[in-house]
Amino acid sequence: MTTTEGGTVLIVDDDREVVRTYRRYLETSYDVREAYDGEDALTKLDESVDVVLLDRLMPGVSGGEVLDRIRERDLGVRVAMVTAVDPDFDILEMGFDDYVTKPTSHDELRSTIDELLSLNRHAEDVREYHSLLAKRAALREGKSTYELERSEAFADLEERIESLRCTLEAEAENYTDDVRFVATLRAIDDEAVGGNADG
Amino acid sequence: MAEGDARSEGYPLCDALPLDVDTLDPGMNVLISGPAMSGKRDLVFDLLAPSEPTDPIVVMTTDDPAPRIHAGFEDRGVRIDPGTFRVVDASGAPGDDDPTVHRVNSPADLTGMGVAFTEAVEEVGSPPRLRLGFVSISTLLQYVDAERAFSFLHVLSRRTSAAGYLGVYSLDPTTHEDRFVNVVTSIFDAAIELRETDGTREIRVRGLSGVAPEWAEFPY
Repeated sequence: MTTTEGGTVLIVDDDREVVRTYRRYLETSYDVREAYDGEDALTKLDESVDVVLLDRLMPGVSGGEVLDRIRERDLGVRVAMVTAVDPDFDILEMGFDDYVTKPTSHDELRSTIDELLSLNRHAEDVREYHSLLAKRAALREGKSTYELERSEAFADLEERIESLRCTLEAEAENYTDDVRFVATLRAIDDEAVGGNADG
Repeated sequence: MAEGDARSEGYPLCDALPLDVDTLDPGMNVLISGPAMSGKRDLVFDLLAPSEPTDPIVVMTTDDPAPRIHAGFEDRGVRIDPGTFRVVDASGAPGDDDPTVHRVNSPADLTGMGVAFTEAVEEVGSPPRLRLGFVSISTLLQYVDAERAFSFLHVLSRRTSAAGYLGVYSLDPTTHEDRFVNVVTSIFDAAIELRETDGTREIRVRGLSGVAPEWAEFPY
């Protein structure tokens, strides 16, 4: 995961008209795939998909069941539930990363997808931050302060750490939103499983 | 960042530390670090429930099952009331339904721990002040790799910071590589270290402005 722009979105809805509308909203910015029922969704889903828009109520395999099977496969994909009624149940418990209420607009759909993509990127940033800190700790173990102070590469590393730290602190303001906090942890959980398509 | 009185006031420690530290700022995350049997767990509990407890408490545990956590706080005079006290128990120990306990199957389920934490906070009324304890980072490391543990702790600690809560986490540095200890310490605003030399227990704080990082005696 993932490109800074675009990303691959799988639209899952049994109403072909809805799928067509979403495709029109999304295809200029994302690589779009379509599925018309749960089984179809599971066959069209692979590691290259970043976000799934999943209709909750479909004939056959329901959205909830599809979600469970997506999670079992550890694909590192973010899933937004699309629902006609405001979810009065706990979407966190169900394992969704976000939700969209029908009818939705072009702007709402895109901002939901962009949020979910940024969440994956954020999880990636935390991981990168860890790896830079580990690198710095390793250098400090092996070299004297004098050597490090004269090293351009070390100064460069310090700069990258500081810049990433600021990025992470700014993004952390969003964690007071429970849905986002939990979705970030899920992205972290997913990431380490190795199911993501890392470029 | 802090708004309103409840949020801007510090978290009183009421002499829990034998150092010149009376309060900790809202949003702070503190690491308690020391070898086995050095009193880390007691110190975590003391910081969460000093002699005049006033704040809601959430304790996340990966090792001690909920009843032991309850006992530790009852010893400190805390009433185990589901309106103000919650345990997220990821120890894997079975237990009866308890309104103060949120069970998670395993510390490997980081998402599950996150969900349980948000539920616990919600159930105590999403208060403007809260003290979170996490025991322990060392046990967490037995279930997930260093990278995942780091990421989880980073996200959790920032979540409580953003809300103005106080976070207190314990770690036994002798069971991990120095490198991991260095890296994970950088998540925290301050580190309180415990050690024992010749039968004397000592303590020092690093990272708190105005407090010299010098060892002081810390009697049992």
